[in-house]
Amino acid sequence: MSDYSIGLTGLNAASTALEVIGNNIANASTDGYHRQRVELSPSAYGGDGTAVVGAGVDVSGVTRLVDKLLEAEIMSQESSYAQITQELSVMTTVETTFGEFSEDGGLNATIDEFFSALEALAGHPLESVYRSDVVSAAEVMCSEFQRLGNSVEDLRGQIVLEAQNMGDSINSLITQTAELNGKIQNIEVGGGQANNLRDQRDQLISDLAQFVNVDTQERDYGVVDVSIAGLPAVTGTVTLGIHVGLNNDGTLGISAEGNQGRSLSIEGGELGGLLLLNNELLDEVANDLDTLAKAIVDTVNQYQVQGLGTEGSFTELTGWGVGDGTLSSLGTDVTDGSFHVRVTNAETGEVERYEIEVDASGSPPDTVESIAAKIDAITGLSASVVSSQLHIVAEQEYAFDFLPAVSPEPTSTSFTAASPAAVSVSGVYNGDENDTFTFMVEGTGSVGNGTLRLSVTDGDGNLVSTLTIGEGYAAGDALDLGNGIKIEVSTGQFNDADSFEVDVFAFTDTSGFLMAAGMNTFFSGAGASEMQVCGEIADSPDRIATAYGSDLTDNTAALRLAGVQDEEVDSLGGMTANEYYQRLVADVGQEVSLLESRQQNIEAILQNLANQRDETSGIDVNDEAAELMVYERMFQAMAKYLSTLQETIDTLVNIV
Amino acid sequence: MSGSLTSIYNNVSYALNLQSTAMTLLQEQASTGNRVNRASDSPSEAYRILGLNSQERSLADYQETVSELIGNLEISSTIISDMTSELASIQTLLTQIVGGVYDAEGQARIAEKINSSLEQLVSLANTQHAGQYLFGGGNTSTAPYEVIREDGQIVQVSYQGSDTSRSINVASGLSIETYQVGDEIFHSDDRETPVFLGETGAAAGTGTSTVEGDVWLTVDYDGANYRVSIDDGATYVTVPAGGDSNLAVTDSRTGKVLYVDTTGITATGTELVRVPGTYDIFTTLIGLRDLLLNERGLDTRQVLDYANECVAAVDEVYNVLLQAEVSTGSKTGFLETLSNNLEDMEYDTQDETTRLQEADIAQITIDLARLEVLYEMSLSVAGTLMNVSLLDYL
Repeated sequence: MSDYSIGLTGLNAASTALEVIGNNIANASTDGYHRQRVELSPSAYGGDGTAVVGAGVDVSGVTRLVDKLLEAEIMSQESSYAQITQELSVMTTVETTFGEFSEDGGLNATIDEFFSALEALAGHPLESVYRSDVVSAAEVMCSEFQRLGNSVEDLRGQIVLEAQNMGDSINSLITQTAELNGKIQNIEVGGGQANNLRDQRDQLISDLAQFVNVDTQERDYGVVDVSIAGLPAVTGTVTLGIHVGLNNDGTLGISAEGNQGRSLSIEGGELGGLLLLNNELLDEVANDLDTLAKAIVDTVNQYQVQGLGTEGSFTELTGWGVGDGTLSSLGTDVTDGSFHVRVTNAETGEVERYEIEVDASGSPPDTVESIAAKIDAITGLSASVVSSQLHIVAEQEYAFDFLPAVSPEPTSTSFTAASPAAVSVSGVYNGDENDTFTFMVEGTGSVGNGTLRLSVTDGDGNLVSTLTIGEGYAAGDALDLGNGIKIEVSTGQFNDADSFEVDVFAFTDTSGFLMAAGMNTFFSGAGASEMQVCGEIADSPDRIATAYGSDLTDNTAALRLAGVQDEEVDSLGGMTANEYYQRLVADVGQEVSLLESRQQNIEAILQNLANQRDETSGIDVNDEAAELMVYERMFQAMAKYLSTLQETIDTLVNIV
Repeated sequence: MSGSLTSIYNNVSYALNLQSTAMTLLQEQASTGNRVNRASDSPSEAYRILGLNSQERSLADYQETVSELIGNLEISSTIISDMTSELASIQTLLTQIVGGVYDAEGQARIAEKINSSLEQLVSLANTQHAGQYLFGGGNTSTAPYEVIREDGQIVQVSYQGSDTSRSINVASGLSIETYQVGDEIFHSDDRETPVFLGETGAAAGTGTSTVEGDVWLTVDYDGANYRVSIDDGATYVTVPAGGDSNLAVTDSRTGKVLYVDTTGITATGTELVRVPGTYDIFTTLIGLRDLLLNERGLDTRQVLDYANECVAAVDEVYNVLLQAEVSTGSKTGFLETLSNNLEDMEYDTQDETTRLQEADIAQITIDLARLEVLYEMSLSVAGTLMNVSLLDYL
């Protein structure tokens, strides 16, 4: 009865094929589904005498139409796409946060406006309204720095949370993949085919690849091992999860669960993107913002510290917190050097300048406490460290400041004449470095007579100027050295080789201590999110330094402060503040542009790969419909065959 | 190419997404008018635009500063011009006095007129503009000239302002001195050898004196030696026997020194010593007023002679004012030229920014039309592909 058997195998094959087609059509829109095809083969043997006619058809299997190399490539590209998309999303947010090119402007405009306000103040140093404008502009700039700094920090915080959640999702996918491995293995070990489960498992691996780049290894019975950055996440049914957390240096790190010391080098996928964002891209942006903020803070403070506003000299000054009191713990570098304190006795009008040495590299080095003790030793001042802040107080009739204004009298004199002329000095030195000028008298005689002259040399012995104080010079007239310093010589006598010295100051603090301790500073804060206008300045804009001259009517300090905008700062790589920020914005834009370009490229590649995959694994309904007709016809034919066979047998039976 | 539903959907979706994104970008450019709306649109151009924006703001600030300075200088120029006019009228009166037009009473009336002028000139020198004193140098918050009065009359005008003007940036790397130092522009600074106008025989010594303007030298004889004084006899310096060619005589009130060649002194008396090149406008008028009031009891001839000498002093301060006026005018001219240059630079900067940033609307329109066609075509093709099915024929 092999004839019946042939018919039955045909019916069975057609029926199975129809089921496969139905399954294909039903999953035409199912993600991760691969087209299946019934595999038919002639039945091994059906003999009738010497003529071999076959035994019908066998359903040798239902196979998934999968191009594994293509699938691997798609998974890899999808992983890259996910990473880039993640990076692009965050970097676009950063770019938007900068807010440049918007109507309200951004940090670039607020930096301009701050320095513009300082420039206006330089034109009107004695008018309080311009001081208030400077404070307002400074506060707006600080709030803009804070906004940007906080936004980047918030983004990094969100990234850490998202990465940790992603770690949970990855671990969940790892577990599900292993479970499906087990089920597939069970079915296929028994000779079955678990195509749909394979699709489900492969879809999970594909989902996993969205998070992180994975390597797969197929083993017997449909089992697939998955590794993440060398970590055997799935080995058959055994899993090893990952742990996402912050490293000691604040970077985001990935390690194997239970072995959190070993950091995995994750690449690709959304998690790879988050890692790159947190540890590199946003870190660079945050660092650049902090560097810029600190450069502005330090450079402005450098000029502010030694200047005075219309409020005049101080009777009391309190710095900011100095940590443990060591110089190395201060936010700004303190080097070996010194600073000069000018103390004015209001009753007598006497002005004394004291030099405080700062030994930052000695053994032991100075501390804030030891420097306070040195200041405390100055007549008229007392200094101490209170609540971790340097506090200087002047006694009742005294006031102090750090002005670079030249002292009204020479620093030292060596006069041998019986009635020497008096020398008075005025002005603000406009050189770049502190110096000591030596004035040597040439000739002997009375001022205003003869050929009396003064030769002026700098600290290196270079001749700066030769001044006539003999005939042609009216005693008391100002003699200009051409560097901001003027001297006046009264009537009197000089002998040949009489001399006097004048100390001139570009900076009264060569150690950086005053700035580091927050004495008379404009800004505080070591980074963008901490940057703010010091309370004393905000409360009393008259404290903004406009003058370096002792009569406080000059605008030298204001000009120097305004000039910070055009100053090329070493810590900014020799760029100005604006240039540095503009470069930062352009760099972020460049990064976004690059990511957009890469995303578009990968999207196009993925599109092509997806099309290629669809040619193999996709469901073409028309194709399936055609197949449907084929197997429908086959089923009908086989039924007809059986019917014919039955009729044949009936005919034979009737004959009998 | 596979005809699977997923494939068709993905292709259509991809195409529509591409075109939709491009159209959104064009729509944004059309609505903002800008081609660069964020740094990533064109990073290098964005860098340039940000720099140009800063430059434009800076130029606008400089223009504002220059405009303010021009205003100050124009006011200063007007004031100096008023002072010059006042001095010119005094010159006229002085010429009439020297010509003998006025008797003692008339001279006293002229002295009153000079006193009024002096009050007016001090007031002008203390002019404020926008809350700042114009002639106090860097010290713009304090009246630059302080007067001391006796019996209601000004007897001394002293400069209280700063001896340096204020330096203000008017362009990148360019600063200008503004708020003139009154002591410089109302005061001659070209000291010459003192001129002795009397008949005592005293002459200028070889040393450089420090006295300024007019000084009255008194020569008397103490029975053994001549003595000289420049503080109306408050202190005397004894002339050594045979005289001294460079005797320093100090004014005990001011500490100023006059070097006198006393070798030729042959007579006692009081004589006027002029120090050309050291006059200031106020002291000159005070001296002239006092001369005309004849507080020293000079005879008519002496008054007229000294008045005649005062012509030179008034001329000197008049010329000082003229120089100040010319200097102020040339500075104003320089700033006006600078203002024009800054304006041109600002326009150029705006032009460059516009060129870099502004969208080409015509190009946008063309691109938009092209994308619209592509978009519609994608939809049409997708519709056709989706619509044709073998199932319809089964």
